[in-house]
Amino acid sequence: MSAEAAAAHDHHHHHAPRQEDYPVDPHYGQATGGKLGMWVFLLSDALTFAGFLLGYAIARGGTKPWIPEGLPELGINFTACLTFLLICSSVTMVLAFQAATERNKQETLKYLGLTIFGGFLFLCGQYKEYFGFELLGSLVANFHADWGAWLAMGLTDEGLFFGTLGGSEYSAYGSTFYMITAFHGMHVLTGVGYLIVIFIRTYMGKYDDGNTNHIEICGLFWHFVDLVWILVFTFVYLIPE
Amino acid sequence: MAHDHRKLYWQIFVMLFVLTVLEVGVVYIPGITKGLLISALVLLALVKAALVGLFYMHLSSETTELKLTVAIPMMIPMFYALVLIVEASWRLLRNVA
Repeated sequence: MSAEAAAAHDHHHHHAPRQEDYPVDPHYGQATGGKLGMWVFLLSDALTFAGFLLGYAIARGGTKPWIPEGLPELGINFTACLTFLLICSSVTMVLAFQAATERNKQETLKYLGLTIFGGFLFLCGQYKEYFGFELLGSLVANFHADWGAWLAMGLTDEGLFFGTLGGSEYSAYGSTFYMITAFHGMHVLTGVGYLIVIFIRTYMGKYDDGNTNHIEICGLFWHFVDLVWILVFTFVYLIPE
Repeated sequence: MAHDHRKLYWQIFVMLFVLTVLEVGVVYIPGITKGLLISALVLLALVKAALVGLFYMHLSSETTELKLTVAIPMMIPMFYALVLIVEASWRLLRNVA
């Protein structure tokens, strides 16, 4: 093996190519294979969400009244806070990527950590929306009765269910709500897991050579989850009956 | 080599925040017609989604081919939605007449 070939061999095994080392493709520039793969996956995921939202629109257009009597309306103010949370975790994600391109590991870890925290808070918010935090609510009720009651209360306590779970009457309103928001919630959960893996790999020094590719690809997934929520928030929560 | 995009990222953040406040705000405008409200909400959501895709997902700095790879498939559900809206409007108008 010539010295050059040995160096290439060594390079191949120990360092993933950095974005700027990637060969320039006539069509896709320096987008790496991993990045293109994530985009293709996100397209398939986007079309799945599009199918859900279009089916939702058809069901909603043909059901009068959309919200059956006795079932709760969806809270806009609380979910607006969740929307804000995802926007915050999107900006921390791009800031983590920015820091990574500058090889600032401390700052990358700080912003990845904040992004994970934002995703975790969103999941807590969604749990509260569905089921309520009973124990936490009863604790808070000792100090503030109204806040405690609010914390303990979820949509399932108010009779909104998927299908006929909990012995409830079937409503397209309840079923489509849980199907779409839970599918999105699973994406947030997946994203938090994905981010934790990237956080650990950054901490371990896997990207110390300046390879920001994995962080950018993880960011693509995370921003997509935010992008989908923007649409879900509008179609499921904001558009009134 | 590494460009500092922090200013752009924070500008997009502020725009997303303001657009979200506007979204929640228009819902509470008294006496707004349903057609106007829904049009405003959908328009605001599409602008927000575009901002995230173009600047946080860096689509604006990708090649035209990658932009089209993403944009063309996404036009299919948009077209389907348009057909649904036209059909629903036609049904509404027929009932009024």
